[in-house]
Amino acid sequence: MIAARHFEPYVEFAKKAFAREATYRLEVLTEVGSLVLRVYILRSLWTALYAQNLAPIGLPLHGMITYATVALLMSLILEVDGTRLIREKIREGSIATDLMKPISLPTYFFSDGVGQTLLHALLVVPSLACALLLVHIDVPPPATLAVFALSFLLGYCVNFFINFLMNAIAFWTLETFAIQMIVRWVSDLLSGQIIPLTFFPGVLGRLVFGLPFAAVYSTPLLIYVGIIPRTAWMPSLEIQCGWLLAFAGLSHLVWRAASRRVVIQGG
Amino acid sequence: MLGAYVQYWRTNLLTMLEYRANFIMWFAFTIVYHGVALGALYVTMRQFPSMNGWDFRQMFFLYALWMTGHELHNALFFNVVSVPEFVREGRFDRFLVRPLDALFQVLTVPAQLFPDGLILAIATFVFATAYAHVRVDWIFCVFAPLVIAGGALIDLGISLGVATVSFWFVRVDTLRWVVMSLEQDFTRYPISIYTRGVRVVLTFILPFAFMNFFPAVYFLHKATTGMQIDPRLGLLTPAIGLGWFFVSYAFWQVGLRHYQGTGS
Repeated sequence: MIAARHFEPYVEFAKKAFAREATYRLEVLTEVGSLVLRVYILRSLWTALYAQNLAPIGLPLHGMITYATVALLMSLILEVDGTRLIREKIREGSIATDLMKPISLPTYFFSDGVGQTLLHALLVVPSLACALLLVHIDVPPPATLAVFALSFLLGYCVNFFINFLMNAIAFWTLETFAIQMIVRWVSDLLSGQIIPLTFFPGVLGRLVFGLPFAAVYSTPLLIYVGIIPRTAWMPSLEIQCGWLLAFAGLSHLVWRAASRRVVIQGG
Repeated sequence: MLGAYVQYWRTNLLTMLEYRANFIMWFAFTIVYHGVALGALYVTMRQFPSMNGWDFRQMFFLYALWMTGHELHNALFFNVVSVPEFVREGRFDRFLVRPLDALFQVLTVPAQLFPDGLILAIATFVFATAYAHVRVDWIFCVFAPLVIAGGALIDLGISLGVATVSFWFVRVDTLRWVVMSLEQDFTRYPISIYTRGVRVVLTFILPFAFMNFFPAVYFLHKATTGMQIDPRLGLLTPAIGLGWFFVSYAFWQVGLRHYQGTGS
């Protein structure tokens, strides 16, 4: 009971964020439209590539199209940056009064992000429906689907903390947007969102699997298409948990340092 | 007008010198941005060496051609992208009461611009030309700059079109983002991988294919199986660019009249 009451305000924050996002209806529509076009492009691209080259081991054309389409649908959710608020609040200075409120600010940002995410998660349904008109998506057995969902959830949390850390840089310097864009672009490539990390050759391949970005897109997707076999599920999830703990810990330290900084500056 | 334009560039360069750290960060982003695109292409084409008969070197040239036109647009016309913001904040009305062309005034709002992306693009293009073994004869020397300028005009036509929409709808951020990213996605690969309908759209309606595909077909002497086109079509890019710009400028004028008419 007490725990439930404790979380009540955060549920409200999430609801508010959801409602706020829902007001931009035209934006939401364009997002679905652009996703459908992207599905078309990826179908054309991979069909052309598979038609004239040897298929890579373990990933036939339908598997590749499934991978790319699911990655696009995941990006609807993962590209929402719930912690952008931090940067805005720091620039406006309102972070100072927020720090005085009797709430946990990081949890507030998280619930706000979840609210925004939920609206975008709703978009997955119409997007998927439209995508299915263009491509066929493989559906794995229920057990695989369940592990994929779990892995996706872990990836979502890792992504949240990466964004959180990026935005928290704003406590030290206000010119963070360029840094953030750089990280975002690099992570698009290194997380396996654009192409499966299994395509990276040699040392590069080992390197990209060792980076935290792989925990965001690559692990859930490779579980989905079956490149990560049943026997390797546990170790993969453990690596994701490891990154999650590491980034959560780091975020905790950064947040402590940052809030002290605001107080010292007399904000 | 020319004097004003020279002054504008002077201001830009001076502001750039003032905000050096910021400039370096954004330049780094430009490198990463194109680097990621080319990196993804490289990794993909190691696995799949042929994309409808195009190898990685040729794909690199295709990208570099688009990149140079696009960066030329960014260097000269980037402010057009800010028009929706000017309109929303009411700053646009200022341009209407001054005795200079509104578009010219938009283009000369000092904005810490430095043609770093363009310099990077030209270097990439020169490298790509050698890397893809393009024959450099007098036709190439005359037409390559013209094609790039035509590509920049096609880009300008698109961004001017989106900017004009903001006279009716206040929030066009997503539309702009979508159009920009679609341009990048569709120009990255040879349009021969698409179905007929999409190729028609990319040729006649949103002529992105003229930014890089058709000229690259000509410069690289590519056979376009199944498309029955004259390779010299690629040399039409400058004309298409001009035509496309005039069409969008006419649309812009309609938008301006509407904007003044409602007095909003």
